[in-house]
Amino acid sequence: MTGGLYAVIGMGLALIFGVMRIVNFAHGAFLMAGMYLAYFAYTGLHVSPYASFPGVMLALFALGSVVYRVLVRHIVSAPHAMQILLTAGLSFFFIGLAQVLFGADYRQLHLDIASRNDRFAGLTFNRAYAVSFALASAVSCALYFVVARTELGRALRAVAQNRAVAALMGIRVERVSAIAFALGVACAGLGGALLLPVFYTYPTVGEPLQIRSFVIVVLGGMGSIEGAALGGVVLGVAEGLTAYLWSDSYSQVVDFVIFLGVLLLRPSGLFGRSLA
Amino acid sequence: MNVGHSLFSPVFRLVLVLAAGACHRHEGAKASESAGARVGVITAVTGTQAAFGQAHQRGYAIALEEINAQGGVLGRPLEIDTYDDQSKPDIALQGVSKLVDQDRVPVVLGSYSSESSLALVPTVTRKEVPLIVPTATADNVVQQRSAWVFRLCAGSGDYAAAMVAFLKSHGDPRTMAVVYENTNFGQSQAAAMRQAATRSGLSILDEEAYNAGSPSYSPMLQRVKEKRPEVVYFASYLLDATTLMRQSRAVDLDPRFFTAAGTGFSAAEFPTADKGAGKDAEYTIAASQWVPQVKWPGSKEFDEKFFARYGSHPAYHAMQAYAALKLAAAAIEKAKRPDPTAIRDALKTIQMDSAFGPIRFGDNGQNQHPVVITQVQHGVHTVVWPPDVAVAPVLETSPWSAR
Repeated sequence: MTGGLYAVIGMGLALIFGVMRIVNFAHGAFLMAGMYLAYFAYTGLHVSPYASFPGVMLALFALGSVVYRVLVRHIVSAPHAMQILLTAGLSFFFIGLAQVLFGADYRQLHLDIASRNDRFAGLTFNRAYAVSFALASAVSCALYFVVARTELGRALRAVAQNRAVAALMGIRVERVSAIAFALGVACAGLGGALLLPVFYTYPTVGEPLQIRSFVIVVLGGMGSIEGAALGGVVLGVAEGLTAYLWSDSYSQVVDFVIFLGVLLLRPSGLFGRSLA
Repeated sequence: MNVGHSLFSPVFRLVLVLAAGACHRHEGAKASESAGARVGVITAVTGTQAAFGQAHQRGYAIALEEINAQGGVLGRPLEIDTYDDQSKPDIALQGVSKLVDQDRVPVVLGSYSSESSLALVPTVTRKEVPLIVPTATADNVVQQRSAWVFRLCAGSGDYAAAMVAFLKSHGDPRTMAVVYENTNFGQSQAAAMRQAATRSGLSILDEEAYNAGSPSYSPMLQRVKEKRPEVVYFASYLLDATTLMRQSRAVDLDPRFFTAAGTGFSAAEFPTADKGAGKDAEYTIAASQWVPQVKWPGSKEFDEKFFARYGSHPAYHAMQAYAALKLAAAAIEKAKRPDPTAIRDALKTIQMDSAFGPIRFGDNGQNQHPVVITQVQHGVHTVVWPPDVAVAPVLETSPWSAR
């Protein structure tokens, strides 16, 4: 079930990478931001993350747009080193800010739903996890729908395929890139909000998840949204199976085994077109 | 290149730098004269172990106040120089350099975790500065037999021995599963339990090493459940202790006893709902270094002071810090001067009574500290063993479906 969450976070990263060819090293930081926002929505406004997540997504969409307009758009055509430096710097900034504002201590919610476990067909499902999974899947499907079936989606795909030609075709590349970035950030924030009921938040919570989303993007095929979605689920299942059949301490190793395997055997990933 | 005449010429700049360096060294010498009244502290102020670092700092604060209220050390007020290791061993190492080389403290207290504390051992040995370890339990921290390391708390071996003795006298279960964090602390606890269990005929059905900080331990706990151990023994810090108990409930893991090597399960926050496992902590049994009810002098007073100031009762980590600072102050007094070697020699032979019990270090730098066993009963850590300090009988662990 963690696969569902991985999927939505990975899709966000894939969106940003696919459309703008930027590897977003601040993805984990945005996830953390979404998590804190959901946390304070609960403690301050008594709104459960399951109700506040659209608000969190919107807030992070706005944040992503601002970050894009002020910082990211300058490095879209810059060398990769610059992009990495900028997004990594953003990550440090946000994490540092969180440490200053909220302290490094962790915070957790004790929602009633998180202690409910439903038993079905011999398997036990934690209700909060199940709801998170369902919501993450729903958003992933919605995102896929947007990318595959709407005009905006077509514009996103066009820019992903070829920026220059897309511009010649009359697509407002700047605007599409901004939307892609903001949407990707919103996905990260959503992942955070949905993770909050079953986990705890602290400033560097995004880091291990960010690494997994890199693996997912590669697994799914660079820039393929549907690949990332499937990749997320595959990764989640692989980790769970490894922990169950072998040992939990190897569950993270399997992430990198998959990563290396994909790079060596099928660099274009599950659905990707090879980067020409 | 216009050398020598301009005010900002390279030569002039070099002279300035050397002069500044000389001043600093002079200041450094002056500082070391008054640094006798300074003690270095390394702990996890931030990071994943911040809750314990905070317990440390609170313990240190209360001890500092008491020490200075009684005239300080060597006639001067004592100061603490704190370095935040961010729950990371490599940063803890940087702390030693800063505290010893720059600030010239004659003794260091720290860190919190076994990982970080172990990292300090080679460096303090090389720099010849005594290290008082208040909380780290991994046996390898003292196994190196460094002449400069003094551990106040009991080690993993003692936890395991006490837990096994407790189990033998309470139902004598025959099977156990050990679930431990994949770090120095966890591995040491698991190894110690392996030894203690084998010696007493308890068979270990399953050993699970896990990566800390994960949101999902259900697959692992499911495996443990299928082996059907009578006892589960955890070695975890607070965050994972919470996740593990929540998910034990989710997979319906129902051993006769949930036990733990103290630490996360003994943290003051563990039975609370907002920072710990809340009701899921009930019935868990933990090896503990100290609880407020013990009969050592000053225990009760420390608990009352702590509660009055911070609104919650202290876990043993706070007491360890408190006792460590008191020990450091006593050692400096005994050494009669703020010199690392003299302090080390004082620590080697010191014998004192504290709220943490009697303190006396063996040849390997280990203090013979007794371990108690506590159980969370109605949300409170209650001493259940050994019989002469127990305050309540053990409650049977209720299965999750009945709670």
